[in-house]
Amino acid sequence: MIGSGPNVPAILIFVAFVVASLGITWWAAKRTHSTGEFYTAGGKITGMQNGFALAGDFMSAASFLGVTGLIFIGGADALYFVIGVVVSWAFILFAFADRMRNLGRYTFADVVAYRLQPDRLRTLAAAGTLTVAIPYLIAQMVGAGSLIETLFGLPYFVAVLIVGGLMTVYVAFGGMLATTWVQVVKAVLLLVGATALFLIAMSQFGFNFDAMFARAVEVHPRGEVIVRPGGLYSDPISTLSIALAFVCGTAGLPHVLMRFFTVPDAKQARRSIGYAVVIIGYFQMLIVVVGFASIALLVGQAEYVDEFGRIAGGANMVSVYLARAVGGEIFYGLISAVAFATILAVVAGILLSASAAVAHDLYAKVIRRGEISDREEMTISRIVTVVLGVGTIGLSLWFRNINVGILATIALAVAASVNFPAIFLALFWKNLTTRGAVAGGLTGLVVVVGLIILSPIVWVNAFGNETAIFPYSYPTLFSVSAAFIVTIVVSLADHSDRASIDRAGYDKQLVKSEIG
Amino acid sequence: MGNEAELLRDPEFQKLLAQRSRWRWGLSGSLIGIYFAYCLAGIYLTEAFGLPFLGSSITWGIVLGYLIIALAIVLSIFYIRIVGRLLEVPFGDRESGQ
Repeated sequence: MIGSGPNVPAILIFVAFVVASLGITWWAAKRTHSTGEFYTAGGKITGMQNGFALAGDFMSAASFLGVTGLIFIGGADALYFVIGVVVSWAFILFAFADRMRNLGRYTFADVVAYRLQPDRLRTLAAAGTLTVAIPYLIAQMVGAGSLIETLFGLPYFVAVLIVGGLMTVYVAFGGMLATTWVQVVKAVLLLVGATALFLIAMSQFGFNFDAMFARAVEVHPRGEVIVRPGGLYSDPISTLSIALAFVCGTAGLPHVLMRFFTVPDAKQARRSIGYAVVIIGYFQMLIVVVGFASIALLVGQAEYVDEFGRIAGGANMVSVYLARAVGGEIFYGLISAVAFATILAVVAGILLSASAAVAHDLYAKVIRRGEISDREEMTISRIVTVVLGVGTIGLSLWFRNINVGILATIALAVAASVNFPAIFLALFWKNLTTRGAVAGGLTGLVVVVGLIILSPIVWVNAFGNETAIFPYSYPTLFSVSAAFIVTIVVSLADHSDRASIDRAGYDKQLVKSEIG
Repeated sequence: MGNEAELLRDPEFQKLLAQRSRWRWGLSGSLIGIYFAYCLAGIYLTEAFGLPFLGSSITWGIVLGYLIIALAIVLSIFYIRIVGRLLEVPFGDRESGQ
């Protein structure tokens, strides 16, 4: 049986990663003296480094473990996710990269508050950041805890303490510099690991893709369905909602947006996203093949998959089981350690964005109105990091049995419905006013949370009702539309004094956003 | 304020804005349009997406999906070059600081 005892190679590789990452943190801590260095590494990261870090931010356990699991269950429909990810990054490059870099300093709130009333917009942006970051953090930590329990044979609470403790140490001491380099190291490890898994798995079929797919169709209980559409979704509303969640949600993730400010100028910002698109695109192409190869190689092996096609330890285990099936114990340990490192690096980035929202946007800018010394803000942001880190550890222990899928849905859907409309309209629509942005943001938040509660994953699966009031699994088509409509209508109807200041500020913003 | 208003009236700057906006929305619109069309085709043209690609076990749906990913990568590289060239003259010097 798998996971009955500790896996020695996995522990050795993981310990090596932890030692290296703590070394990076120690090195970064000596170079982090100001808030600019803490939040954005002083804007000194190069385009290529930032590209790897961005790709690392996004190549979370959700893509490495989640997508292969999704393919294992539903087949080709997982391509909607895989393509959506790459399309969203290209969209971020075309529409956002330059303007974000030119207007912002530490957080995306800098951009939405550029010409609008700063206190209200910063508060909204901080609320949007925390509603994305906290569910996302808990989802990753709960996932990590269960994964480590299976892989390393450690108790759940020890695993959560390790992940939460390391994440807090990276961010509190090393700030953005440490977070970036941990992310770069992890991105390289993940790319090497996924490539090796792809090559070893495909070598079993003599690199004949046709034979691999044929075998997958032959052995999967659902047969042909796995290479056709319809394995997961068959109604247009759910499918388009997912597509929209990816396109808009990625562009509204606070830890991704924060990375625009770690590079010196707009040119490097474009280059970073260019690297990210190439790396993520390559990775997504690999991971689809890995997903199908895992069907071809794991189904029928009683050790991993039971007679009903269910995977021991859950669908998220597919990639690591494939590693064991094709590469033996050492390779299994390597891939497990990479999966763990992946989670660790991702949570650090999210924690930093949450700390910046609280310490910079809420405390320094709104509560203290900017009347705060650099040294004091640094201390506050470190304290906030520790408080949020400890809080997340507590929540992850408390919500141990929560469905990780619900949390991930909330995070991406809130990013799409609250943060994205505000940023998009602030950047491109002159008539946006403070009142409109706040009304639209709150509408997005209420609609998205309300619809998720009424949808099957909560109303039926968690509350045990017979049928869901909102029948679709994803709310974004409705919540994003509602946020946009309310923002636009309220802005157009707004004739307050503040509204004229908001509109008058657009020209200055436009010039700065284009040429820096 | 005066400076921005002046710059916004500058025909060269307006040309730059117009060109950039054409690329920005042209590329975003095409790529997102293709992606949404792919999603809808998956729902309404299920049979066609399930057809074998060149007689193999791989289907057209999977192949088209890969092509969209490849397209996104190609368009991104293309965009970086185009914008780099647009900004070279006459406002690019401000940005690169050279």
